[in-house]
Amino acid sequence: MGKGGSGKTTVAATLARSLARRGAHVVALDCDSNPNLGISLGLGPERTYELVGIRQSMDSEPDPEHTESAEELLTRFGDVGPDGVHFAVVSKIEKANPG
Amino acid sequence: MRVAFVGKGGVGKSLIAATVARLLARRGDAVLALDLDPLPGFAHSLGVPAGSGAFPDTLAEQREGQGWVMKEETPASELIEQYAFRGPDGVRLLSIAARPGEWKAEQSTALRHVARTFADPAWSVVGDLPAGTRQAAFGWAGFADVVAIVVEPTAKSILSAKRIANVLVDGRPEGRVGVVVSKLRPGDDPERIAGLLGLELLGTVPYDEAVRDAEQDAQAPIDGAPASPAVSAIRDLLPALASR
Repeated sequence: MGKGGSGKTTVAATLARSLARRGAHVVALDCDSNPNLGISLGLGPERTYELVGIRQSMDSEPDPEHTESAEELLTRFGDVGPDGVHFAVVSKIEKANPG
Repeated sequence: MRVAFVGKGGVGKSLIAATVARLLARRGDAVLALDLDPLPGFAHSLGVPAGSGAFPDTLAEQREGQGWVMKEETPASELIEQYAFRGPDGVRLLSIAARPGEWKAEQSTALRHVARTFADPAWSVVGDLPAGTRQAAFGWAGFADVVAIVVEPTAKSILSAKRIANVLVDGRPEGRVGVVVSKLRPGDDPERIAGLLGLELLGTVPYDEAVRDAEQDAQAPIDGAPASPAVSAIRDLLPALASR
């Protein structure tokens, strides 16, 4: 946590990549409603922009019969970046909400 | 002028918004500055103590079925006269937080009331929104004739600007939305950045060590670095930010 532009995303992404290079299994979760972690992980702006928030995906496809595990959610909505870092966006604001 | 500044964290929204407010006041405008970010920043850039211009907790209340509302329909002009902090150059400031990081519905409701209803054409209104898409999505830029998305030449900042632009165009299709490219260095291409976003380029502000030094010394850049390239560039932005 910290002020905008102070380097939170850069530090988190570089830490995730370094741990993965050491052989750890790493899941990077972007919990910012303006999620840019994908860029710092090296996925590029297009892939980062296209990723949907897990919360939005669940809202749009409610399935009361089947609660997915964290692993299934990561596989369905996440991406795998350089050094094998698994990556997902938790929540993303894309629409105006007047009022 | 009624202008709101939005953008990714750390791009220079507060610097530009506060300096615009001070410059407008110096040229003789009546200026209302709205600090809509609970985290500190704008107050430093304006040159006032953090928490200045926050409303008391007593003006708004929660009502059954209505949510948070003003207790009395006091006109915005009276609330400004009574509660807006008198800052340097005569800028009047209203802030969303009395203490850094604090967010209270009482104060937020009162500030929202002023932002929505204050329409005196004799005044300029300059708003500084928090980083990211959240407040832009909830309509806090609605008071502005011009919304300036501040972007620095990095992929993260440009992606943030793209999301904010989507939210703003959805929320207020009639408003003017443009781009100010900040922290510009030689070789950067601001027209290309505005083009990527499909928005009008309102102007540019260079990267400036003098501003950084002033901020490090907790001085408003317009006081600590008045002749700096960034402050001069912000002065040059004023015509592009004017309401039409």
